[in-house]
Amino acid sequence: MTGRRILLVVQRYGAEVVGGSEQHARLVAQRLAQRHTVEIATTTALDYWTWAPYYRAGNDFLDGLLVRRFAVTAGRDPEFKAFEHRVLEEDHHVRDELAWPAHQGPVAPELLEFLHQHGGEYDAILFYTYIYAPTALGLPIVPERAALISTAHDEYPLRLAPYRALFHLPRAIGYLTPEERAMVHERFHNEQVPDEVLGYALGDAPPADVAAFRAAHGIAGPYVLYLGQVSEGKGCDELLAEWIAHRDRGGSPDTTLVLAGTVRMAIPDRPDVRALGRVSEEDKAGALAGAQVLVQPSRLESLGIVLFEAWQYGTPVLVHRANLVTSGQTERAHAGRSYADNGFGAALEALTSERDARGADGQEYVARECSYAAFDERLERLVEATAP
Amino acid sequence: MSDRPGVLVVVQRYGDVSGGAEAHARELVAHLRPHADLAVATTTAADYWTWANKYTAGIDEVDGVPVHRFPVEAGRSRDFRLREHRAFAKVHPLEAEDAFVRAQGPVAPELLEHLRRYGRDFDAILFFTYIYYPTVYGLPLVPERAVLVPTAHDEPALRLSVYKRLFHAPRAFAFNSVEERRLVHRTFGNERIGGEVVGVGVDVPGDRDGARFRARFGLERPYLLYLGRIVESKGCGTLFDHFLRWQSDPRATPVTLVLAGRGDPEMPVPSDPRIRHIGALSDQQKFDGLAGAAALVMPSLLESLSMVTLEAWAAGRPVIVDGRSPVLASMAARAGAGLAFRSWMEFAEIGELLVAEPGLGDRLGRAGQRFVERTYTWPVVVEKYRDLFAEVAARNS
Repeated sequence: MTGRRILLVVQRYGAEVVGGSEQHARLVAQRLAQRHTVEIATTTALDYWTWAPYYRAGNDFLDGLLVRRFAVTAGRDPEFKAFEHRVLEEDHHVRDELAWPAHQGPVAPELLEFLHQHGGEYDAILFYTYIYAPTALGLPIVPERAALISTAHDEYPLRLAPYRALFHLPRAIGYLTPEERAMVHERFHNEQVPDEVLGYALGDAPPADVAAFRAAHGIAGPYVLYLGQVSEGKGCDELLAEWIAHRDRGGSPDTTLVLAGTVRMAIPDRPDVRALGRVSEEDKAGALAGAQVLVQPSRLESLGIVLFEAWQYGTPVLVHRANLVTSGQTERAHAGRSYADNGFGAALEALTSERDARGADGQEYVARECSYAAFDERLERLVEATAP
Repeated sequence: MSDRPGVLVVVQRYGDVSGGAEAHARELVAHLRPHADLAVATTTAADYWTWANKYTAGIDEVDGVPVHRFPVEAGRSRDFRLREHRAFAKVHPLEAEDAFVRAQGPVAPELLEHLRRYGRDFDAILFFTYIYYPTVYGLPLVPERAVLVPTAHDEPALRLSVYKRLFHAPRAFAFNSVEERRLVHRTFGNERIGGEVVGVGVDVPGDRDGARFRARFGLERPYLLYLGRIVESKGCGTLFDHFLRWQSDPRATPVTLVLAGRGDPEMPVPSDPRIRHIGALSDQQKFDGLAGAAALVMPSLLESLSMVTLEAWAAGRPVIVDGRSPVLASMAARAGAGLAFRSWMEFAEIGELLVAEPGLGDRLGRAGQRFVERTYTWPVVVEKYRDLFAEVAARNS
């Protein structure tokens, strides 16, 4: 393979890993490998909370690419919640802030040592997710050849000492969205660092069998779909409250709210709410294609890949306005609506009435912006801005 | 930003302390005072080797400017030489570098805490000297408003990974010379970060009298002047060797080498009537001495900026430098105001030439004067800093 030698550093990497930024990293590795020599440096962790060792340390291969796995010598501090509370809420010292990446993990000293000894052998090193130790401690070792793919949203840790210089150091930054870029610029005033808004890329939509999905789960009539982890952290409690209020006012008659994803909260027992748990890839395709609308209530998404997936099937999306990323994305694609608190019902009805037109716009947007060709071009610009 | 920017100066020591960078910081503060609201953050150390706590921690005042002194929790560690040796090895683990920076001192975590809490209250923060703890760990806390005055020269420390974050993070650099800027760009590939060659201003008295100096010290022959510490690391060994070889030749024009500077010699001075050690000089005596000299000799190899060289030029005298010194040889060539030697024979030739043709020395000296006026005068320096502060503030607004 010709082209550049590129190393991608990310906290977790593997077929079993679930997570937005990790998914993005894997896509980027695969796309770059079409034109460059790509390796991945990561840890032995699978779980993002404990970082408990799962994979074997050493060389591994995924999608035909070399994956260098470095041992996690310390997972997340078992008292992390207390530590977090102190640093975020209480009076504390700069040394507490500087210790944040080590407390949060994953601590993988051999990964840092590898960057120190061998970083110079790569033309560009792409660091994923600003917040975790491999990036926070690793990027400053090789700033002259580093790109940061920060996947940041506006959260308190962004204000901590280890991150103050991180956004000024790299040769270039890859943002996921224009909203992330604007937020980072406002906080760090780092406009001097060249950047590229990367977005996302999708292959052809997997075939969808709506009838099979309906039959498998006994879903009749129109339904609104939520796809993802069902938890308060993702805003599902607020979604359920909005849904129930809307239905109790007589809105969206005969319609069901379908929650597809691992359930981590209590679900009210009502005929118009169905929690399916985690669904297969086939079911996911069918569910997306058959839905009236996909709803994404989360306030903290840094990309919202599921929106693109819904648009691929011509399904429009309904997003919470508090999330600037998903609402900005939706507005750019002209492929859905956003709602403020207590505005879910009205927005749902308005969107339902223009479902097919908005869905078609979404389909067109994904075809244009999320094609491999368009994505690869953006990636190339990032690599060119990074390689010394 | 108002007309008077708020500027914090961070430096490892401050006050009545020796040291080029520290003196530089203090003089700069004095000249910036009319144009900026200044404060200094430093440590309680006075000695650059031990960093022993000498000053009281807390708020002090020097030259009418508030100085926050933070305690040194750990001075230079007893195993510093070992730590240095490990970090400078061609292959060394990453942790050896942090260990080196800490062992070097002065470790002052409360200074870092001060920067975390109050750094953003200033429009700009000037960090002096790249190599020590306050800059290494302090600058990354306020990169968006940091101006680094690296005072770097080509030395092993500059190639450690731990310093990369420092040279890629600041908003701007204030270099001492074109040569230093070239070195930093070559080492780090950080041309993207803006900056200026600023340096310092040189003040010379208008009244300079070489005859007064000759009379005071009983000098009759032409003389070469050396100003500074008498120590091997400043090139004095080479200087004595070359000078005596030249003068031992029976055909040589008899010339005196005058050594002046504070403190006892840190190496043996050859016992020879042609070498005169006259000790410390007042400022007036120093400039009288320069005025009467055939040339200043500056044999040091590792300088990021030589104040005495600039002073000699400002006084209109040429400078003899070691051709192996990347900064001094290049500056002398750019200024057209110095001659570089690569052997004792070249040293002898240069000496003979300057003694035989005083007009040549005067012409070189005038070129030096013009060079200093272009860059190294306080009005020029202050103007450049004000522009830097305005630019930093604009980029953070």
